[in-house]
Amino acid sequence: MEPAIAIESVTKRFGQKVAVDDLTLTVPPGELYAFLGPNGAGKTTTIKMICGLLRPQRGTIRVCGYPVGTDGLAAKARLAYVPDQPFLYDKLTAREFLFFVAEMYGLRPEQRDRRLDDLIQQLAIGAFIDQMTESFSHGMKQRVVLAAALLHDPQVLIVDEPMVGLDPRTVRTVKDLFVQRTREGRTVFMSTHTLEVAEAVSDRIGIIHNGRLITVGTMNELKRRATGSATLEEAFLRLTEEGDEPCP
Amino acid sequence: MNPVRSDASVMPAGMRLLLRTKCLSLHNRAVQGIQASPIRIASTALFLVLIWFGLYGLFWAVFDYFQRTPLEGAVAVPLVFNFFFVAMLMLLTFSNAIIAYTALFGRNETSYLLAAPIPPKDLVTVRYLETLLFSSWSLILLGLPLMMAIANMPGARDAGAFHVLFIAMFLFFVPIPGALGMLAAWAAARYLPRSTRRTLLSAGIALMFVATVWGLRTVQLSGGESSVWLRDFFLKMEFVQSALLPNAWVSLGIERAMHGKPLEAVMYLAVVLANALFLSLVAVRVVSRGFSRAYDRAAESRGRPGRTPAQAAGGFAGLLFVYLPRPMRLIAAKDFRTFLRDPLQWSQLGILFGLMGLYLLNMPRFQVDLVSERLSLLVPFLNLSAISFILATFTTRFVFPLVSLEGHQLWLIGLLPIARRNILLAKFAFAMTVSTTVAVGTMGLAASILRMSSAWTAVYLAVTFAVCIGLCGLAVGLGARLPMFGERNPTRIANGFGGTINLVASVGLIVLVLTGMGAAAIRTGIDATAPNVYATTIGYSLVVILIALAVGGAAMLLGARHLKRLEV
Repeated sequence: MEPAIAIESVTKRFGQKVAVDDLTLTVPPGELYAFLGPNGAGKTTTIKMICGLLRPQRGTIRVCGYPVGTDGLAAKARLAYVPDQPFLYDKLTAREFLFFVAEMYGLRPEQRDRRLDDLIQQLAIGAFIDQMTESFSHGMKQRVVLAAALLHDPQVLIVDEPMVGLDPRTVRTVKDLFVQRTREGRTVFMSTHTLEVAEAVSDRIGIIHNGRLITVGTMNELKRRATGSATLEEAFLRLTEEGDEPCP
Repeated sequence: MNPVRSDASVMPAGMRLLLRTKCLSLHNRAVQGIQASPIRIASTALFLVLIWFGLYGLFWAVFDYFQRTPLEGAVAVPLVFNFFFVAMLMLLTFSNAIIAYTALFGRNETSYLLAAPIPPKDLVTVRYLETLLFSSWSLILLGLPLMMAIANMPGARDAGAFHVLFIAMFLFFVPIPGALGMLAAWAAARYLPRSTRRTLLSAGIALMFVATVWGLRTVQLSGGESSVWLRDFFLKMEFVQSALLPNAWVSLGIERAMHGKPLEAVMYLAVVLANALFLSLVAVRVVSRGFSRAYDRAAESRGRPGRTPAQAAGGFAGLLFVYLPRPMRLIAAKDFRTFLRDPLQWSQLGILFGLMGLYLLNMPRFQVDLVSERLSLLVPFLNLSAISFILATFTTRFVFPLVSLEGHQLWLIGLLPIARRNILLAKFAFAMTVSTTVAVGTMGLAASILRMSSAWTAVYLAVTFAVCIGLCGLAVGLGARLPMFGERNPTRIANGFGGTINLVASVGLIVLVLTGMGAAAIRTGIDATAPNVYATTIGYSLVVILIALAVGGAAMLLGARHLKRLEV
């Protein structure tokens, strides 16, 4: 079976600065992969390359078997991206925006309405779905953007800092939603600084530091590698402190 | 599931969807605007109508003059069109390049759509249409009164056909600079590193400046007999009429339509249309093919650190406000650094005052006429008018939003060990430093070139300084009294209710000042030898200065009071 995400020997430079250095990682279908790293480690750059927003100077990226570089539209049709700064059209209502997204992904009206009803319930956006998005708080925007991302039921969901600005109830809902998706065979690739969330829901965790993937594994494997660490926080601090040795 | 690319109708589904969404967004904005602030919409419409009628009167007067002098008219009318369209070609290419760059590479919306299955060609085409609309509405604003003026001239033939041809000519001309601008924006993102791009922006502004100087120098005529005048004029303007330039096709087309030769006009219209379509096709194709690489390159350069000339110049900011107490100096220096790092701000002010400077540098050519008593009184008055209106544009567009833009940091400013009124004073000091430097400097240059008497020079410099105080006080004070703290876009703040009030108040103040100075000049002009003429002039000027100071001071008090009461 094709991996959901396959990144092979990818390097990305911004001028002299190497943002991502010879990165190789594979995420199979049905996995929730947490991508961790300090600020400026290369997480968002990696995510933007997976989504086709940036192009690697070296290496290849495939989503569900489709190369992002040469068959970008086929890859993009299978993924959804939730950026750290949610984008919405200010002068559209949340419903109008969601209809726009549904049409962009080719959903039929009855499919769209069915999916939308589910998402309105799950993400509790019904109270403000017919208001213009310009008046929304960060958390409200984040919920609408998540609904938009899930509307076409993507095979791969890529989320950059999904929990910022969400209230505890919605954080719980989102965590459950992600887990449910992986059970249905979908993939979630999540970049976050909220280590408790990563610890609670992820199947595997990759830690990137100075553009290099320094370790990948399950929660227990990471704790074993960072000897004596009882929590992900301790393991993360120890591993990113130890530095630049790439993972085997 | 079939993403938008699979549609095979005339207009691709992605483009159709994006256009429909844009229209819906525009519709929502209009409905919201009408419901929330009908007075603002009505006053904007009223101003628009006034501008149209003003332009109509101006164009009508120009063409009427040409019609009464058939020889000059026959030569000058095509040249007026040529000049108009060559200027439009340059300005629109430049503004399209800037707008297209921001639309293609600077908006979050582009990132969002690039991550979705929207074909780049659809995205680029919609961006192209948006850019055309945003950058070219001013041409339509200018074009309609121009068309009406020509069509309503006595002896105009077949006004119906003329209107249709004229509008079509304008609409078909617009994509030519639009396509050139988009190609320039794409090439800048694709091939130039960031520092070079900034250099390119500055170079573009400098180029326009040089072109304007050159253009103005070209029209400096040898004077004397009309035959010499015409020969000189023709020789120097020959390049503008080259048959290979789009402005020539449009000018010839309009001229033929004016003279009741619709078939010939249609031929030129077809030439313009064919070139516009061809260039649009090339631009959309080239940009959409290389879009992903250009976007990547633009993102790369955004992430590249470096010390820019503006940053280096920012170090100067601390010295500039050395006369202020330290906390106020920090705030004023911060605003000044922001001003230097925003090319939009300094370039607009630079262009407006640059044009003013050009006009002043060319003043010696008219010295023969300036010995006339009336002109020597009129010209400084007109200079003061021009400087005041340019300043009002600057203060409304850039100074008024300053307090609102602090909205997100208001908690920080609220905690600073500095009285809030001093925050306003710091902003006032920044605005005064910039505006006094350019306005009083320009007025001083004008006085020197016009060889004004020291008494009149002192009067005009003092009045200019007072106008600076009045306009800056109004913008800072009303900016604090009518802020839009939720908004981060300075243009929207300036275009909002508070910005409109500030603009109207600024124009009102200028009208008062000009009325006073006009009255002083007229009185001097009627009888310069009257025993108390200088005392009267000084009296008028003092009243004007006091009015400006009072208006600026009152607005500052109003703003300071509101800011003091404001809960952070």
